[in-house]
Amino acid sequence: MMDWPAAQRTGAAATSAPADPGIGRGRTEPVPVPLPMRVAIIGAGRGGMALLEVLHQIGTVEIVGIADRDPSAPGLTRAHEINVPVYDLAADLIQQQGLNLVMDVTGDPAVERMLHEQLPAGADLLSGQAVRLLWTLVQHESLLQAELLHAEKLAGIGSFAAGIAHDMNNPLQLILGLAENLADETDLEAIHTQARDIIEAVKRTSAICRDLTSYSRRASLRQDCLISINGKLDEALKIARYAVALQDIEIRKLYQPDVVVKGNPDELLHVFVNLITNAVQAMADQGTLTLETAVTAGTTQVRVSDTGSGIPPELLDRIFEPFFTTKPPGKGTGLGLYNIKSVIHHMNGTIAVESQVGRGSTFTLTFPHDSTVGERSAQP
Amino acid sequence: MSEFKSGFFVGGDSCNGRVLVVDDEPDIRKVVRMTLQKAGYDVLEAENGAKAIETINSGENRLLLDVIICDIRMPKVNGIEAITYFRENYPRVPLIVLTGFPDTDMATSLLRQGVVDYLVKPVEGEKLKASVARAMEQRELAHL
Repeated sequence: MMDWPAAQRTGAAATSAPADPGIGRGRTEPVPVPLPMRVAIIGAGRGGMALLEVLHQIGTVEIVGIADRDPSAPGLTRAHEINVPVYDLAADLIQQQGLNLVMDVTGDPAVERMLHEQLPAGADLLSGQAVRLLWTLVQHESLLQAELLHAEKLAGIGSFAAGIAHDMNNPLQLILGLAENLADETDLEAIHTQARDIIEAVKRTSAICRDLTSYSRRASLRQDCLISINGKLDEALKIARYAVALQDIEIRKLYQPDVVVKGNPDELLHVFVNLITNAVQAMADQGTLTLETAVTAGTTQVRVSDTGSGIPPELLDRIFEPFFTTKPPGKGTGLGLYNIKSVIHHMNGTIAVESQVGRGSTFTLTFPHDSTVGERSAQP
Repeated sequence: MSEFKSGFFVGGDSCNGRVLVVDDEPDIRKVVRMTLQKAGYDVLEAENGAKAIETINSGENRLLLDVIICDIRMPKVNGIEAITYFRENYPRVPLIVLTGFPDTDMATSLLRQGVVDYLVKPVEGEKLKASVARAMEQRELAHL
């Protein structure tokens, strides 16, 4: 388990927590190698934004900047979010020192001519059909990533069967029993009470269907929005209880109020459900699950800790790899943590894990502050 | 009716037997109680396996408990653990499983362990009463 400062360990609402003491010592996914390729993107429409998203996730690529004359181009907004410099003139961007590659996705012959003329020495230009093909490949990969996330989520829902059956059949038993009783009940007050109980049981049953259909749908393609982290963690707990037995788990919520991050709410819910499910499985359904949110200097953090079996040191570097799983065949896809890492990276965040065999694990998600944090229009 | 029915022991007027209902859902306990009380049974409740073990080990229940109806998915001591305890310590008390999750493997395993019936919620009152009546017959045979 991570060694928390006392104020955070005991406080239900830590206020000005210091920078996370565990991040530096925790294991993160493989660190990018130095000397990245320096790339400039010309055009911030759909093509430029797709390239930006993909290149941003590659550790060996540094995006020097993105240029577009249209200040409302979506790629520029996204560039602001992930701290990529923005230019309105391509000519200014390509003057930056040490460029290795300029990628022109405008499809504008005039821009292409200008780039050919002014391209600095040592830089290559990718434009025309070549960049169009690259864009197609990027879109294809982006689609595959979304499909992978959805497929992994649906595979996980298969494990919900026991929990769903339990939660559906209990209210159904109540409804059936009360209805049978009502058939020959003569006490008017008892009839009214039992009718109300039936109505409440039906509402509970339909809430289960609503939660699950909402969760199982494909992540919406809507623009990222502000998400209340605490609300999303609570929502994830409701979903996770279908997959794992929570009745013998002590749940500690150490929430700092009003913690928000920007991202896709459907994807973040999936991340939290996965982390909570993993944590409870690691504890063999018995132990303490701690959910903690905190705003520290410059970052927003979410921690999911368990007191379970822990992860052996030799496996820590592999757990974010696709198809890596320690679960028996048929029990896990090996895509859970890989997808989590992808979602968190898309949100410009990082994920770290610290673990001790026999004592438990802590997963820490760290998101940088952006200018929008602090607003109160977050989605639940 | 046999004189070995617990009604005989407790001296109850119309008591057909004493049934312990073990389920973490109060609504389930309530509705099972409602059904069985109408059929003349004395009904006790426990919210988990630990409480059920405590109940059966307390006072006259050691002798007078006739049937246990037990859920599987419960906190603290779950149904499987509780059933194992009951089979070892009270082998003459018939057990009925009433669960929300139909699991063929588990049903087979439990029936092999001597569980009288494996009922999946929602179960009709008549079926529940018939199952309890069968369990009562087993209980009586065990006394012979």
